[in-house]
This record gives sequence, C-alpha cells and structure tokens, in this order.
Amino acid sequence: MATTEADQRKTKQESFELGAFSSKLSKSDFQELLLQLYLARYFDVRLIKEKKRGRLTGTLYSSHNQEAIIVGSLFGLKPTDWISPIHRDMPAFFMKDFRAGWRNPDRMGMSVGTVCAQVWGRVDSPGRARDNWSHIGSSAKRIIHSTSMLAGTIPAAAGVVYADRLDGGDAVVLTYNGEGSTAQGVFHEAVNFAAVHKLPVVTIIENNQWAYGTPTYLEFSMDDFARRADGYGIPGLVADGQNVLDVYDKVMEAVAWARSGKGPSIVECKTFRAYGHGDHDDDRAAKYRPKEEVDEGRARDPIAVMKRIMVAEGHMTQKEAANWVAEGKGASEVSNDDFPPEVVQYLSEGIEFAVNSPLPEAEEGGMWVYREDN
Amino acid sequence: MSVAEPGLKKNYLTGLKEAIFEEFESDPNVIAIGEDIGFLGGAFGVTEGLKEKFGPDRVIDAPISEAAIVGVACGMCLNGKKAMVEMQFIDFISTGFDQIVNMTATYHYRTAGEVAINMVIRGPAGGYGGGALYHSQMNEAWFANSPGLKIVCPSTPADAKGLLKAAFRDPNPVMVYEMKELYRQNKISEVLKANDEALVPLGKGVVRREGEDVTIVTYGNNVYHCLQAADNLMSEGFSAEVIDIRSLVPLDEDIILESLKKTNRLVVVNEAPMTCGFAGEIVARMSDRAFDLLDAPPVRVTRLDTPVPWVKPLESFVLPSVNKITEAALRVCRY
Repeated sequence: MATTEADQRKTKQESFELGAFSSKLSKSDFQELLLQLYLARYFDVRLIKEKKRGRLTGTLYSSHNQEAIIVGSLFGLKPTDWISPIHRDMPAFFMKDFRAGWRNPDRMGMSVGTVCAQVWGRVDSPGRARDNWSHIGSSAKRIIHSTSMLAGTIPAAAGVVYADRLDGGDAVVLTYNGEGSTAQGVFHEAVNFAAVHKLPVVTIIENNQWAYGTPTYLEFSMDDFARRADGYGIPGLVADGQNVLDVYDKVMEAVAWARSGKGPSIVECKTFRAYGHGDHDDDRAAKYRPKEEVDEGRARDPIAVMKRIMVAEGHMTQKEAANWVAEGKGASEVSNDDFPPEVVQYLSEGIEFAVNSPLPEAEEGGMWVYREDN
Repeated sequence: MSVAEPGLKKNYLTGLKEAIFEEFESDPNVIAIGEDIGFLGGAFGVTEGLKEKFGPDRVIDAPISEAAIVGVACGMCLNGKKAMVEMQFIDFISTGFDQIVNMTATYHYRTAGEVAINMVIRGPAGGYGGGALYHSQMNEAWFANSPGLKIVCPSTPADAKGLLKAAFRDPNPVMVYEMKELYRQNKISEVLKANDEALVPLGKGVVRREGEDVTIVTYGNNVYHCLQAADNLMSEGFSAEVIDIRSLVPLDEDIILESLKKTNRLVVVNEAPMTCGFAGEIVARMSDRAFDLLDAPPVRVTRLDTPVPWVKPLESFVLPSVNKITEAALRVCRY
C-alpha cells in the first residue's frame, strides 16, 4: 500500500493504546474482530461485483471504510440487546450476536442467507421482499425494522427499551445514524425523550463527512457532533471510526452507562464515506468530492488499522499481516484471494440461498395491510 | 371510576374515561403516553386519575413532541405493549405525521405480517366551538389515505366507550376522532354498559333515524345536525334516513347500500374540507356499487375548502349546518 503524506499524518495520530474494554480482549477476540472486518468488507465488494455481473438489481449503499463501526459496536452486546441499523449498516443485520456462532440459527441475529435474500428481493427475505435494501428487521431477533425516514426509528428504539425496562429486562438499544440525519427534528425529539426517561439508548453517529451530496459543514456548525449531547444532559463520546477497538471501547462505555440505569448517550464515530451515497451516485460523487479529500478519508482503512494494532500488540506477525490484503483496494481491484477463505465461503453460502429463493407471488402485494385476527 | 355505575346516565367524556380505565384494569400491558395526561389528567380531563391509579410508568407525561410520542409508542408496541397515544388536539397530529403514516401504519405490511402495532391514537377533534384554525380540524382524510390505519369517529357516549374499547382490542393502529363539542353535552348522556358488553365493533354503522325518501350519511358532530335536518325535511313532506357510519376505515358500505335500495337518494355530510375528503369517498363507493339505484345525483355537504376560522359568523359560514343539510337534501328529493 502506497504511503501518502495524509497516510503518514493519520498514522501518527493513530492511538494504539487500548481502552478499558479492549485491553481485556484476548488474542482470539482480536482475530475474530479482524475476521469480521474482512466479512463486512467482503459483503460490500462482493455485492458490487454481483451487480456489475448483472446478477443483482437495486441500489447498494456501501459501508466500505466504515466497517469498524458496525463490527466494533456489535461485538460487546448481549443477545437480548436491540439494534436499529440503517442503510449503510447492512452487515449488522447478520452480524448481530455473532458470538453465538456465525451459523447458529438460534443466535439473536439474522442468517446471512435471509439478508442476502433481502438484497436479491426474494421471498425468503425477512419482509418477503416488500421493501428494499436495509428495510428489514425482526422483533424476535431484536432488530428494529429500518425505513427511509432518517432518525425516524430512534423514537421506536426508545420505546422498545422502555417496554423492556417495564418487563424487568436490562436490554440496551444501539441506534445507527448518519450525521446527516441529526438535522431532523425527530432526532432531537427522540434523544430528548430518552434523556428525560434515562432510557438505555446509545445513539451512534456515523459521521462520514457527507450526507449524500452535502458536506458536514452545511449540516451542523460544530466540529464534534458529540458535543450536542451536552444540550440533552447526557454524555457524548467521540470514537475513531477507523479503529474497531476504539469504537468497541467507546460503545461499551456507553452501553455500561446505559445498562447501569444512567441513561442514553451519543457516540460519534468519525469516518469517511468511501464511495457515493449509493452505487448509483459513485460517478457523481467522484466529481462533487475533491480527490484529495477522498484519498485522505480512505487513507486509514479499518482492516489496515486493525492489523497495525495487532502487530503492535504481538497478536500478529508482519508476515501474517501480508496474508490477505483487502485493505486499500476498491471493489474492482480486489478478488476472493484477498480475503480469508472462511469469509468467502460464509457469504457465498448466503448468496447461494438467496438466488435459489423464488420471487414472492404477485398477490402478496395486496396482503398484510391489516392483521385480521384479534 | 373504573366500574360503570348501573342506571346512571353518563356523558361522552365519561364514556371515554370508562373505556380507558377498564382497559388499563384488564390488561397490564396497556400504557398511555401524551402531553399533560398525567399530573393534569389531560387538557380535557379524559385521563384524570389515571396516573394516580396506574402509576407514572404506565401513564407518561411526554415532552411536547408528537413525533416522539407516536414513535415511542410504536416501539413499545413492537416490544409487546398496547400503547394509547393522546393528541392534545387532533390538529397537532401533523407534527407526528411521519411517525404515524410511514412508521406505524406500514409496519404490518412491510414485515409481511410479522409485526402488528397495537396502538390507539385518540384526541379531541372537530369544529363548532370557536376553536379557530388549530383547534377545530377534522383531518381524518390524511389518514384514510394511508393504508394500515383504522379510523373511528363516535357520536354518542356509548359509542365513545365501545369504539375506544374495541380500538384497544384491535391488533392494528386505530385512530379515534373524539368530538370535543360532545364531551360534556349532557343532553346526549345515556346509560353505559360495562366491560365486554360495552364493546362496539369497528366497521359497523348504525341507522340513527329510519326514513324512506333520502339517505343522509354522516358521522361525528354532524349526526345531530342531520337529525335536525331530518325534522325539517319531515315538515316539507320528505322522510330522511340518517346513517351514522361511526367507523370510516373499515367502512360499513352495506348499511348505506341497503338504505339506498329503499330511498334511491344520497346526501353525505362531514365537516372536513370537500376536496379529497371522506364524503367524496363515500359518494365514489356508492357510485361504484349503487349507480343504478340512484334517482338523483348524490350531493356532499362539507366544510368549504377553507381552514376553520375563529369567530362565530365566519365559522358558521364554512361548516355544514342544519340549513345547508336541509337545503341539499331537499334539492336531492325534488330532483
């Protein structure tokens, strides 16, 4: 990987110091985190390849370069916790409760096959392909169904944990939001409600610097969005969104705070959107965003950052770090050989399941407007 | 308060109150959320005593945010609760609109039946009280145009109690348009039944007055205007049948159809604006199903296509009145 000036600057800033939670992780935890980063990345690049081959229709919203947020935030959750992902968190739907085993059908996350069936628009998707992309969920698996209304599911997140608390549970909910969605009134209204009732709602802001075609400085007038938390009387933390361990530490701090009854918090994860808003926007994004900014924003690939830390911690040799080099590569530059085989195998099984799943019967379009039974 | 007292006539507001207390009593999963519903007992007193009896966990005084109120209630329902949302005035529902139509109404559909949101959204609605633009609205058409919601509008104390109880028991989101001008009208007070016997099914209309010459279909406040108009028509030699649909979604089309078989003439009255209003929907459906039955073009009597103004002469000018209904029905009868 070529070392640019920006790369050197960012690498210097990089903190390899482990936090209160990550310092307790074992070598195998580190290895698992790295493997999950590969999997999230592979999901992204594989789908782009599938679409380019004409096997897939529909818009893709890439999480490329933002995988550390998904992986690091989910890693320490309990199975009974809730999550509320949005369009750029697609892998979160099948990575929730991965600790219980990637292929364990009873874990509190979706199977990769059903998530792929959703991407392919097939009947085995959790919502039987009635709405597209990330608009799925599962009350049984404790995943709130996402919509296109940004910040629109934070109130529901507050509601599920309010109900859980009434029932004597200790569940925490993680809500994922782009920094663009924070300008919505409902963002403020929901976080304020959660603050008033000290609800265990952790609001993750994936600050990737661009809300579709609008830069951050036209969205809010502060450098660290997390400072907005002061206005609600709750903690606001800033995490390095490229460093899966820093995300893990900050989210776990917020989760521990929430679970102990102290209430909600905001965790701003600083990152950068690698491509367009969706794949339909890639070409235009290359024009409305200066190349230098994109190069700098992508200079610290989360896979590379994790490898550097693992080498520094003695959990990986330089030679091992050179084994699978997916980092720093775009979808067109990367191949299956750049990923650990178990990652390729796992997703391939999911895709195989999806492409063999039929389309729903047309009549289903008229069903399930109302529940009929009482 | 929680037990209906036999033999005593109760007003509309008491009907609502008894419904809420009974449902809270019988199902510990019922939760209420809204502005000023706890300490104050609601702007109109519908939830007076509820927080004292069932505690602050189940009766939530929410910050002034209709979006958070509806959205939080939606999340509670997603996790096994039945949530009753009070809109302080139904006019204020617009700031919770997205949470109702995009989040709550679509939930069952987009999850292919996995989730049903057992929510009741209720609040004071309607004009005739000098409430002006933002305390007089009937905006039910916004929601009738959003598949996934049920909508009712009771006009009597027994229906207020029975439909609200049915709304709690229905697994879908149900909106209850309460007629605040009827809340304390003691002349319509009546004896109320208790518990299951009080239930009024959603989707069933009722004939308020039988007649032969013209069918007047309406709901809410306008039921009483139509009954007076029917008296006027009688003195002109025409007998009007007045149907109170009570439930807009689902709509009891059959009760209207049966009446048209007898009268062959249709007038529809409501206090929402005419354009794309529910009165137009009723006319359209009867045109589909009963065109050959009709001896005269159906007529709508609605609010003018204006906001609801404040002072009496202005308000009366735009809202349906006994005179306007009488004149319209006479035109239809004499066609």
